[in-house]
Amino acid sequence: MWQEVAEVVMRSLFISGTATVLATSWSIPIAMIITAKESEFRRALLDVANALVAIPTVIIGLVLYLLFSRSGPLGFFGILYTPIAIAIGQAVLITPLIISLSASVLRETRSGIWEMAVSIGATERQALVTMVAESFPKLLTTILLGFNRTIGELGVALMLGGNIKGFTRVMTTVIALEVSKGEFEFALTLAGILLLVTFAVTAIVRKASKTA
Amino acid sequence: MIELKNVSFAYVSEDVLRNVNLAFGPGVTAIIGPNGSGKTTLLKLAAAIYRPRVGEVLIDGVNPWSASETVKLLARRNVVYVHEKPIMLRGSVADNVAYGLRVRNVPAEEVAARTEEVLELLGIKHLAHEKAQTLSAGQQQKVALARALAVRPKNLLLDEPTANLDKNGWETFIELIKELVREGVCIAIATHDRLLAMRLADRIALVENKIVTFVESPEHTG
Repeated sequence: MWQEVAEVVMRSLFISGTATVLATSWSIPIAMIITAKESEFRRALLDVANALVAIPTVIIGLVLYLLFSRSGPLGFFGILYTPIAIAIGQAVLITPLIISLSASVLRETRSGIWEMAVSIGATERQALVTMVAESFPKLLTTILLGFNRTIGELGVALMLGGNIKGFTRVMTTVIALEVSKGEFEFALTLAGILLLVTFAVTAIVRKASKTA
Repeated sequence: MIELKNVSFAYVSEDVLRNVNLAFGPGVTAIIGPNGSGKTTLLKLAAAIYRPRVGEVLIDGVNPWSASETVKLLARRNVVYVHEKPIMLRGSVADNVAYGLRVRNVPAEEVAARTEEVLELLGIKHLAHEKAQTLSAGQQQKVALARALAVRPKNLLLDEPTANLDKNGWETFIELIKELVREGVCIAIATHDRLLAMRLADRIALVENKIVTFVESPEHTG
């Protein structure tokens, strides 16, 4: 049993970690673009991101299911019911969250750091890089929030992963399955491990952001 | 020298400053006025941080807002604006002071030499390896000034530069500004400190009710 638990925990970490890396890779640049200059378009982009922060996971699961299913437009990739599909779904899920929080962090530093950098002779690009570097500890916290959202998420993992034993089964889907079978003891154990993993990752990131 | 011609500026819709005609330099221009009157806005317009709604800002004859990116950068590099609340980067005091030189790709040896020179000038060499964000407000103000001086600007815009300085720091600051003026640096200082304005200013700009009134001789302001 413990070997299976360890496998599920490692798989969950891998999928959620991949999703977080993916989402960060495009969300932070988008947040940088939004905060670099004021414009109606950029403000609208942020409004859309803010509105999508609370989107139900099942909606994302459903849309991506239709896209990735055999008859869907992206069906030829053949990734439905694979860990990749879950990672992509979770990345899409946390994208608005990371954009919204990162833009807020970067806006905070814009009036101070950006102005100082530009005034002392930095190019706008150098000023933007300085802004991101100076905001790094806070940005790390927003990324952490994204990771915590993915690891505790059920809808996308279930709809795009299918809860296949030994392949796409993650902590949340196992908990749901065990509850449906009436195996509360095992479900509670896994829930405890899920919380422990979340706390451990939070502690590590907190330490990293302090030393950064 | 920085000139503002028929400049108006609004943050949202209502003008904060209206139809400003003003030239900073040569020597020291003091900008006085009540809180919230637009002194900081005026300096940020002069530093080409804010873009005027109408009118033009000329930095040594160049309007950065209608110039190419390269010319705009060169014009901006002739002006340094120092915030009222010093903005400190993470890292050491030396890193902060060197920042303006590093973004100009100045060779490392020259960065080190010029950093040491300004730290010495401001009497904060002993703080070189301290974390800048942990310093007192007065020390941070000196670091911000050192960072500005390290890049040897032609135009220096200072926002409440003596707000956190003690009496000794205040006197040292006065002497430093006089020395910079002798070297030909054009300086503008936004301040509530009337004594500072009287001691240093060649002319005074009074900012009140969105209007800037220019007085050539400080004695006339009372």
